[in-house]
Amino acid sequence: MASVHESLYFNPMMTNGVVHANVFGIKDWVTPYKIGVLVLLDEMTISKRMTLLERRRLNKLILPLQQGPDVTLQQLLKTVEECSPETAFAVKLRLHMMVAGELKDMESFFDTLPNPFSDAESEASKTSVVGLFMRHMLLAYNKLSFSQVYKLYTALQRYHDDYLGSQSDPPAGPAGDADMELSEMELTSTDDGPGGELEKEQQDAGPMQYSELLDEAPRRCPLSQKQAEYFLARQAYLLKNDENKALKPAALQEELNNMLKFNPDFAEAHYLSYLNSMRVQDVFISTHSLLHYFDRLILTGGDSKSNGDEGYGRSLRYAALNLAALHCRFGHYQQADLALQEAIRIAQESNDHVCLQHCLSWLYTLEQLKGSDSSVLTEDSVKMAAHFGLPYLASLGIQSLVQQGAIGGKAANMLMDALKDTDILHWKHSLSELIDISLAQTTSIWRMYGKSTMALQCSQVLLNMNSLEQVDFGVQQNNTEAFAVVLCHLAELHAEQGLFSAASEILKHLKERFPPHTQHAKLWMLCDLKIQFERAMNDGKYHLAEPHVTAIAALDQMEGLYRKALVMKAQNQTTDACRVLQRLQLLCEKTKRTEMIIRVMLTTAELHWESSSFSTALPVLLQALVLARQYHLQALASETILHLAFSQLMLGVPEQALNILHEAMEPILAHGALLDKGRALLLVAKCQMAVAGGRADRHTGLEQAVQTLDEAASYFSRLGCKERLRDTHYLQARLHHALGHTVQRNECALLFRLLDQELPPTRANFTNRL
Amino acid sequence: MCLLMGQGNSGGWRFEGGATNQQYEKMAALSSEFGDLVQIKKQLISVISLCKERGLVHSVKWASELAFALKPLPMSELPPPPPLTKEDVEDLDALGLAKSYFDLKEYDRAAYFLRACRSKKAYFLYMYSRYLSGEKKKDDETVDSLGPLEKGQVRNEALRELRVELSKKHHAGELDGFTLYLYGVVLRKLDLLKEAVDVFVEATHALPLHWGAWLELCNLITNIEMLKSLSLPDCWIRDFFLAHMYTELQMIKEALQKYQSLIEAGFSKSTYIISQIAVAYHNIRDIDQALSLFNELREQDPYRIENMDTFSNLLYVRGMKPELSYLAHNLVEIDKYRVETCCVIGNYYSLRSQHEKAALYFQRALKLNPRCLGAWTLMGHEYMEMKNTSAAIQAYRHAIEVNKRDYRAWYGLGQTYEILKMHFYCLYYYRRAHQLRPNDSRMLVALGECYEKLSQLVEAKKCYWRAYSVGDVERMALLKLAKLHEQLNESDEAAHCYIIYIQDIFSCGELLEHVEVSTALRYLGQYYFKNKRYDEASLCAQRCCDYNDAREEGKALLRQISQVRDQGEASSADVSLPCVFGSLSNNNTPVRRVSPLDLSSVTP
Repeated sequence: MASVHESLYFNPMMTNGVVHANVFGIKDWVTPYKIGVLVLLDEMTISKRMTLLERRRLNKLILPLQQGPDVTLQQLLKTVEECSPETAFAVKLRLHMMVAGELKDMESFFDTLPNPFSDAESEASKTSVVGLFMRHMLLAYNKLSFSQVYKLYTALQRYHDDYLGSQSDPPAGPAGDADMELSEMELTSTDDGPGGELEKEQQDAGPMQYSELLDEAPRRCPLSQKQAEYFLARQAYLLKNDENKALKPAALQEELNNMLKFNPDFAEAHYLSYLNSMRVQDVFISTHSLLHYFDRLILTGGDSKSNGDEGYGRSLRYAALNLAALHCRFGHYQQADLALQEAIRIAQESNDHVCLQHCLSWLYTLEQLKGSDSSVLTEDSVKMAAHFGLPYLASLGIQSLVQQGAIGGKAANMLMDALKDTDILHWKHSLSELIDISLAQTTSIWRMYGKSTMALQCSQVLLNMNSLEQVDFGVQQNNTEAFAVVLCHLAELHAEQGLFSAASEILKHLKERFPPHTQHAKLWMLCDLKIQFERAMNDGKYHLAEPHVTAIAALDQMEGLYRKALVMKAQNQTTDACRVLQRLQLLCEKTKRTEMIIRVMLTTAELHWESSSFSTALPVLLQALVLARQYHLQALASETILHLAFSQLMLGVPEQALNILHEAMEPILAHGALLDKGRALLLVAKCQMAVAGGRADRHTGLEQAVQTLDEAASYFSRLGCKERLRDTHYLQARLHHALGHTVQRNECALLFRLLDQELPPTRANFTNRL
Repeated sequence: MCLLMGQGNSGGWRFEGGATNQQYEKMAALSSEFGDLVQIKKQLISVISLCKERGLVHSVKWASELAFALKPLPMSELPPPPPLTKEDVEDLDALGLAKSYFDLKEYDRAAYFLRACRSKKAYFLYMYSRYLSGEKKKDDETVDSLGPLEKGQVRNEALRELRVELSKKHHAGELDGFTLYLYGVVLRKLDLLKEAVDVFVEATHALPLHWGAWLELCNLITNIEMLKSLSLPDCWIRDFFLAHMYTELQMIKEALQKYQSLIEAGFSKSTYIISQIAVAYHNIRDIDQALSLFNELREQDPYRIENMDTFSNLLYVRGMKPELSYLAHNLVEIDKYRVETCCVIGNYYSLRSQHEKAALYFQRALKLNPRCLGAWTLMGHEYMEMKNTSAAIQAYRHAIEVNKRDYRAWYGLGQTYEILKMHFYCLYYYRRAHQLRPNDSRMLVALGECYEKLSQLVEAKKCYWRAYSVGDVERMALLKLAKLHEQLNESDEAAHCYIIYIQDIFSCGELLEHVEVSTALRYLGQYYFKNKRYDEASLCAQRCCDYNDAREEGKALLRQISQVRDQGEASSADVSLPCVFGSLSNNNTPVRRVSPLDLSSVTP
């Protein structure tokens, strides 16, 4: 019966229970492709009438051909043809002769192969790269047993036949051919139809066949060791740097499963499977693959049973650490904590400082994720990492510290200094990944401080920088988180300046580079939603803004709550808005999001205005101002001053208002968003009017106010902020009227009238807002 | 006697027209129980000859064993040989020649002489020879492949061609039971499992008596739902299949019931059934039952080698060195190059703590059959004993590769990592093992211990309680739970646990771990004393005095009690407190129900 002949997974090279992955000692095996390369080399040494240029091109080709993975004959001949068409033809001919002939042709080829380097003068001397390769191949060939030689020959024939098959156009040949029928059978494994015709139809019909095809392709041409390694390396690189170009998760998993079916000892495939399932957030398969990988790794590195620095004990430690990382990524903080403690304990027991450092950096990351203060831990980590000479970990720690410092309101110059220092470190060790992160971080910090120009500059630096890493696998741009962050900032900055088409262009680009299913997609989604929300709010189309609120809340809970309050306030649901704001403030204080706290305070103050209690708004605003100054948040500080000035204006002290406004005007005009600029100018004009109202030189004061209003109007119109534009036109008309400029007055009045018709009936208290 | 008992079994003994073969249609339902068995015997005899002609040796063996267990038939009752058709007569010579080659393992030669034959029998042998030739070549190829990566890729080249031809015939409806079976095997080898299941089901309908088809089907069914969804022929052999399936799916109770009813129906002499029951008892760790059955089996069939590895496992667990030694020597005399023999010898050496030699023999077993699951796991255990953890992990991983549902390998991996002091890491493996055997207390206790080490006491408590609830094998779960409660200063719960523990121990009548009993008594004495229930406290203290290590404390406690009593303090009459000895009789001691094991909250 069948079970008698079961022989899967039996490895004759097993010693002492441990299968050594590389049992045969040599990695080199004679494959049909290698024979092709040998023929090429032989041809190069024999032929004398090659031009110098061709020879040079071919010489440059040798190394990649020798070290690269096996490729099809078609590709091989194509690359050779590009260098020297004649040689390519000669190689093709010789291979054809060998295949068309008998086994002895191949045997004689290997017999005559050593001739070129028998004389010392030859280019292919024994110790040269070529000579070494040839000798390797000869050795491997001579080790083959009788039946293996025959197998090699048939493999060569198949290799050549494949080439011939690809040369002739793939025709829909006579289906009676046995081979065709075979392949057809493979394609339609679910065949139920009685005849060949039906099978054909099925072939065209379902998506079922596609997966069959995928399944079939690698089975037909199994990957060699090097090809498999190349495949894994490439996919892993792509996953890290540009997920779009990597295989789709399902297809990649299929490939991996195939590879593992053929060679269960190929541990790296398990690791890639772990990465792949992380991509689709599959906790079960990723845990399974990770643990399987380390179980396997323990075996391959199992030469030394010691718990020392190398081999077995080491992989144990990293196994625990990786498990912690996995749980951390899935947000299982408690589990992550336990795994991490275990990793730390084992690492301590075996005095592995490097591993301990890695653990420490994960520890502070974990603490940060849990929301507790971890700056002490981070500092320790940086110090130790520097001590043990681990630049990557050290600067990663510094970056984390800078981030914490920025949020915690540390002095800006210190942060910038620290970043500059790490940058020097990065360039010295060419840690390109960290350089990207550092630039993105600088951008974010400038943006937080409200220096939009600097932020713009930094982001441009990163986007225009040439990547330090060599361009591998045709991936020019790194699609990492840093790029996503910077591009989002760029989009928001453009939107602030009213350049909506540019912003949407950037977002479109982001969508292409980071499709929605990839891990960094949430960044641009939030950014896109925020921009749309702002636009809808400025337009006064609150019903449009409302659906965005739910979408934002899905991505960022607090931001969602804040926006909800804004919409409620705009729709006059004052009490509800107030309740939401109070809840939000508590939440913010718990998580220490200062920016959000200030914004909440400002909105609360605005709510106070709605009920005309301007004096009660003052303490809130002052508190906000203190906070903003303490954390160097200039944009928010200026906005707070605007709010303060407005309150003062409404309380009847326009002189005071003008005074403090002067302080805020400069940063706002330099860095602020268009909306802020417009609002500031409108406010100035209002103050100027109020001040001028009671003075002798009323006329000049009003003239000034008119000018200011003109400017504000231009900003508002660029932003498409119609409600505010209407208010401005109204004020302009009144001023012109007071000044007696009838023509301009009529013009402004007309504009006002047009806008007023277009907009829904105004709310009564439009004067009560900034 | 046993024939009369057949009345008890009602289901599945009718023969209805599932069979297409002419011979079987004639044998349709006979009502009398006696005739029933005669018919079965007749069927068996004819299927034996059919299989024999086709070289299906294992099915022949199974059917013959079963037939042997039944009463011999009188001369007149013997079934006539199947009538020869015209084609059969034409092919007779070629078939005879080919069969002789086939028996000598010259498959290609056999196939060559059969190529022109047209009878169904010859066609099957033709295809089967080609299949076996491909398999043989595949095995030979593995040794000299062209590189390490190619080694897994060596395939039976004949499979694809066979599939093409067979599927054509299948569509045309020309396949009989045997060829359908072969078609199924080919499909399974090509990893087309779904199709294979369908074809095997068809094969069982076409020829229900061919045990090989059932066995193949058994390997492809992964869960009970799948089993229920299949429409199987209504034939007596189906009960054998179901019983086998239940054993595979760890539904031991159902399997035992099935086998019991089969025995009652008249198969009491069948060694097959006895061995299966013994294996089932082994799986639920009913060691005594299993041992006695195996001994019976060896009496009936002294040269049997199958299942002897399981027998040796049992002897090993009981530590019965002389018996194991006898078994090992006996088996070596019968055939020393059998997987089972090697496993038995491995177990023997392991019991003698010669772990290197044990590992060597398990390796030999694996060389004989690399898909022998038990040997991988056992080898893992040996490496564990030798503290060669990396080799142990390798062995266990191999076991899992062969069968993902091998809970012992998962458990072994967990143990390995526990030895390496990676308690969090091993949780995953224990959880896998627990998933596969939800009612096995050992995994739960192991899980609990890990949680305890990780100071996840809530989870640990759940695990221990659950382990107790599913029937604790080692009687350690409650004690550990009690100690945990003690640590957490939950004295009431701790006392409850100790009480149940003591009740358990005393009701068993075994006083094995008296150290732990004394600990429990000591704690209870103090507990009652604190709660001012002096009667119970003094009872406990007196019991304490029975044990050496607790004697002093017991006496001290007695003295304290008498002191307090002298001072005239009344014993508290709080009836809510439980009592050990008072409640020995009634078993429903109110114990705070710890919520049943809810690992889902911690399972990532």
